Amino acid sequence: MDPEVDAKISRRRLLRSLGAVATGAGALSVARLIDRHEAGMRAKVCIQRAESYDVDLTSVVLDGFARLGVTASELRGKRVLLKPNLVETALGHPHINTHPKVVLAVARAFRTLGAEPFVAEGQGHRRDSWLVLEESGMAAALDEGELPFVDLNHDEPIERPNAGGLTRLHSLWLPNALLEADWIVSLPKVKTHHWAGVTCAMKNFFGVVPGVVYGWPKNVLHHQGIHESIVDINATVRPHFAIADGILGMDGDGPIMGDPKPLGCLVMSRNLPALDATCVRLMRLNPLGAVYLALASGFLGPILESNIEQLGEPIDALATPFEVLDYPHTRALRDV
Amino acid sequence: MFVERLLQRLIEGAHEGAWAYGYRGRGLDAEATALATLALTAHERAPRLVHEGLDRLAALQASDGGVPIRDDVPNPRWPTSLALLAWARGGEAFAQPRERAVGYLLRHRGKSFSRTPLFGHDPTLVGWAWVDDTHSWVEPTAWAVAALRATGRAAHERVREGVRVLLDRCLPEGGWNYGNTRVMHHVLRPFPATTGVALVALAGEGRGEEVDRSLAYLREVAPTLRAPLSLGWAVLGLRAWAAAPDEALEWLERCALEPGRRPPDPTHDALLLLAAADQALVADPRREVHDGP
Repeated sequence: MDPEVDAKISRRRLLRSLGAVATGAGALSVARLIDRHEAGMRAKVCIQRAESYDVDLTSVVLDGFARLGVTASELRGKRVLLKPNLVETALGHPHINTHPKVVLAVARAFRTLGAEPFVAEGQGHRRDSWLVLEESGMAAALDEGELPFVDLNHDEPIERPNAGGLTRLHSLWLPNALLEADWIVSLPKVKTHHWAGVTCAMKNFFGVVPGVVYGWPKNVLHHQGIHESIVDINATVRPHFAIADGILGMDGDGPIMGDPKPLGCLVMSRNLPALDATCVRLMRLNPLGAVYLALASGFLGPILESNIEQLGEPIDALATPFEVLDYPHTRALRDV
Repeated sequence: MFVERLLQRLIEGAHEGAWAYGYRGRGLDAEATALATLALTAHERAPRLVHEGLDRLAALQASDGGVPIRDDVPNPRWPTSLALLAWARGGEAFAQPRERAVGYLLRHRGKSFSRTPLFGHDPTLVGWAWVDDTHSWVEPTAWAVAALRATGRAAHERVREGVRVLLDRCLPEGGWNYGNTRVMHHVLRPFPATTGVALVALAGEGRGEEVDRSLAYLREVAPTLRAPLSLGWAVLGLRAWAAAPDEALEWLERCALEPGRRPPDPTHDALLLLAAADQALVADPRREVHDGP
């Protein structure tokens, strides 16, 4: 049988099993399937302690790069797209968006290695990127770092075949700036999410598909299935790296109405499913209960702890319980 | 004067009678082209260029009357309402694309679903969606209501239901966001731009408490805005209800002349120009067409 077709059938079987996880009945079969999917797959994830946004974050990121083997030789002269999570703004709620100081520090770290970073985002709620940039403090950070910004919602859309195949979308429209970038880096906030359960590096890429094609909100993706859409977009975009802002996360009714929750770290990896799984463990939640992670497992990366080499701080040194809304579709996350 | 500067940039930024986001110079973005022609018309400038722009939009129109977002992207067709608003000011020369666009909008229906405690709004009401086979949201519904009203169809049952959609999606403290009032536990926050768009669409309706609260929200937030999309729609929303203060021109001027790192964009320029003109997007209430549901 064609291995690609085989993998798709296997993921569909997994999807059916995940339906039973919410009731607890399918947890064992999901774990077994995931174990089989991830055979031979390994990834490194680095947890870098950072107690606040006022520490030298550029050094924290550069130290993480060194641990993960990210070097100037692979980055010199490369155009690096930094995709923060900018959703919307509210006075006194800095825990909604990736903190501007993290974006600035990451940009400086990439410049230290000879790369040419720029910031890009396509918000899912507010059409007005410039308002979100100003109100979130990101505009000031862009000024300070002399960083270009691309509004992905209104960039030129280009059609690409859907490399994931979990939704009914045969193709995805992606912005030209994303397709022309040499490196694509997700800079998410570590948050709970009232639909997806959690949102981190992979869900952050909902913000790369252009609003002019998918709307505000990007309702097409909701109708196609949030989890399936997350995997399809990541499979098609093929990001190179992620750095999650876990200095101050969000729990409860995320991704915009939840409460601030400090984790005190940046989490870094070349592999996004492995990074997200680690962040879920830092939240004292169960990665196997995040449907998109189970679907990505073995396809885009490993999520089992045994297949992830943990660098920097150990998970137990920083993990803290995150509250999750009590709905059937989020219960499996709490089954640790 | 900032108006002259923006008009000049808009005129010089046209490429073969069309405009693209970010003045990219190639291609045609339907929203940018429709707003640019509306802005030039509002200031009675460059009539030949306006005609050319309306022609380019007509050439883009699909056989079902819908207008896609770009000349190389066939779907979605949410700019149809904006093109119709532009053609509504184009005279008899654009009667045919106008009628085809009306037909498209009257056929297009946002997806509805049963009431659920997860959401605060009434999802059974039908307005307009950004994309086929998805739910109705505030901006496409407001644009469709405004466009159909501009062609004399304020009394059509689809417009009446569109107005109900907008009033139902108004937040308890006033204002609109993209179209959810409450999701699960929390009431959500309003946005200036969508509030302005909704108020433009509702101009001509009776002034109820939703409108009063939303105008109060805009009056509070508008002086703080520096982003043209939000400020432009906010002032247009205030103007639609004769509630814009004299200082509004100063807000628009500051926004136009102090862009910071924001690159020029025809939609931004057009919105600031429309907001600087009086009654730019308000329909003529004397005109009413009755062509059945």
